[in-house]
Amino acid sequence: MRIRPAKTLLLGTVALCYLFLYLPIIHIALASFARNYTFPYPPKWTLTIMGRLFSNSLYQAALGNSIIIGLCAAALSTLLAGLATIGLLRHAGRRAPLYLALFVAPLFVSEVLLGISSLIFNGLFLGLPGNLGSAILANAVHCFSYALLIIATQLYRYDWRLDDAAMVFGASPMRTFFEVTLPLVWPGLFGAFIVTFIMSFNNLEISFYLLGATPTLPSAAWGALRYGVKPELYALATCVNLVVFFLLAVMFVLMLTGTVTFGHRPERERSAV
Amino acid sequence: MAYITLDGVSKQYGSVWAVDRVDMAIDKHEFVSLLGPSGSGKTTLLRIIAGLETPTQGRVLIDGEDVTHLPPHRRGVAMVFQEFLLFPHRTVYENLAFPLRMLKLQKGEIAERVDWVLGILALRGLEKRYPNQLSGGQQQRVALGRGLVGRPKVLLLDEPLANLDRELRQEMEVEIRRHQTALGIPFIYVTHNQEEALSMSDRIAVVRGGRVEDFASRTDIYDRPKTAFIAQFVGRSNRFEGVAAQASDRLAIRGEGVLIETAARPGIGEGDNVVAYVKNEKVRLKLAEPGAAAGANTIAARIRHVILRGAYAEYVLSWSGGELIASRPRDGAELPGGAEVTAYWDAADVDLFAQAGGDQ
Repeated sequence: MRIRPAKTLLLGTVALCYLFLYLPIIHIALASFARNYTFPYPPKWTLTIMGRLFSNSLYQAALGNSIIIGLCAAALSTLLAGLATIGLLRHAGRRAPLYLALFVAPLFVSEVLLGISSLIFNGLFLGLPGNLGSAILANAVHCFSYALLIIATQLYRYDWRLDDAAMVFGASPMRTFFEVTLPLVWPGLFGAFIVTFIMSFNNLEISFYLLGATPTLPSAAWGALRYGVKPELYALATCVNLVVFFLLAVMFVLMLTGTVTFGHRPERERSAV
Repeated sequence: MAYITLDGVSKQYGSVWAVDRVDMAIDKHEFVSLLGPSGSGKTTLLRIIAGLETPTQGRVLIDGEDVTHLPPHRRGVAMVFQEFLLFPHRTVYENLAFPLRMLKLQKGEIAERVDWVLGILALRGLEKRYPNQLSGGQQQRVALGRGLVGRPKVLLLDEPLANLDRELRQEMEVEIRRHQTALGIPFIYVTHNQEEALSMSDRIAVVRGGRVEDFASRTDIYDRPKTAFIAQFVGRSNRFEGVAAQASDRLAIRGEGVLIETAARPGIGEGDNVVAYVKNEKVRLKLAEPGAAAGANTIAARIRHVILRGAYAEYVLSWSGGELIASRPRDGAELPGGAEVTAYWDAADVDLFAQAGGDQ
């Protein structure tokens, strides 16, 4: 077979990009299952490090808290962003770009600053102590903007005239939403939920200021650094990465099988078989 | 008492009146078309009747009830959309059952009614398909079925045939009219296609610039256009401009190279700028006789080419004033291309309008 330099170069570049992205993650994953975790080449397999992680009650509590923050912040931001997107697309009219800009502005605020300002504001005006609740709220602010962008790209393709059709045929606005709109746009909401879950699950900067003494996985890992890079951190990183990859794989499979088509595409309906 | 009444209905978008003081009264068994070019406000008018738009002014009455401020789902109307708008996540059966479920009918009755609609629209066997597994014509039938199945007070149709090819369209025209007659409910049909409007309607409302120019029987709209716009828009006509001159009880219109004579009209007098229309099929042709004097309502022309339309032929003629089209049935006496002919028409077949200042 003839070697085509352009294609070889392209493939090489792609391989380099993937290595750049994934090499550190793969290293940590190997190390967390290896007897010599500082330099696992060639790896000798063992589950000792994983065992140490799972017998550590601090990390168990932290995992629980992270999941709570993740689920609640994702649910809250997806709900609000869904409502905001419907408002933007259906009712904002000519001022839509202005509203959109204001909705996504939190994306450009440093997470540390968002955390600090939420802490100060909560303490000064709301009298909210640092706890899971205020961490969820602060994370939802940040996630809301991401969720909005994800949902907006999906809902933009939704044909709102389907809502007209449902209403003309006797469905109240509420019924229309649950019978027609939601079944057609849920993939966008679901995608936003997963992404915002991962974001707030992994968040350190915002949560750090608002959690008080409550540990989450990122904050426990951050705190553990004071005592050097312990093997539990390897195991922790691997576990978190596994969860994240699992969620992404779920989304990928749903897209591949066509269960999730991301939005209603009117042009497909018109084409004859 | 009319079944559907529009009373001074207007709709303003920004500074534009999309619908401007429309009054209409539609009877229970009528098939009415709203005919107009795109952007004339006919779809907005339909959506106001459906409740999808609220009029800025005026009232909408259906079956004696003022529904102006009722939301669409409480009006008991149904609609067939140009883009069909079938629910893509629902099967044909579920799409057809949707209006019935919203009426909270029993399961057995829903099945019965859906079966009835599947029968009259020849959709049996497609119940389990999804809309994207249907051809355009089948989707159209499902959309029509979904409109009929709930026995609405009125069925609103928004250019439902615009996405179908010509042959299918003509079949559906006959079918739609048949269902309307059988069900005895009013159909209000929006279209920009005069053939659809003429083939199905009892009455036609010609809409232009948000106003109804005329609302009359289809024969009146076609044979006795009330405005120059209708004469231009409905049917195919030849247009002449000229200046009117009074001649006893008749008007003589002197245009460029042509003299038109017709009966006097109120409102048109000596020296007025006028525009005259003669429908293509009213222009008759005979082979030119050498030496014959050119009289009123005749034009000496030459056949440039002949367009066969199947049952009739269109003769494209050139004359000193430009182009003229005459259409006539293909009765065997066909005229050859390139022939010198005399085109002529009856004085009664001239539609004459005063030329509004800069309007046409």
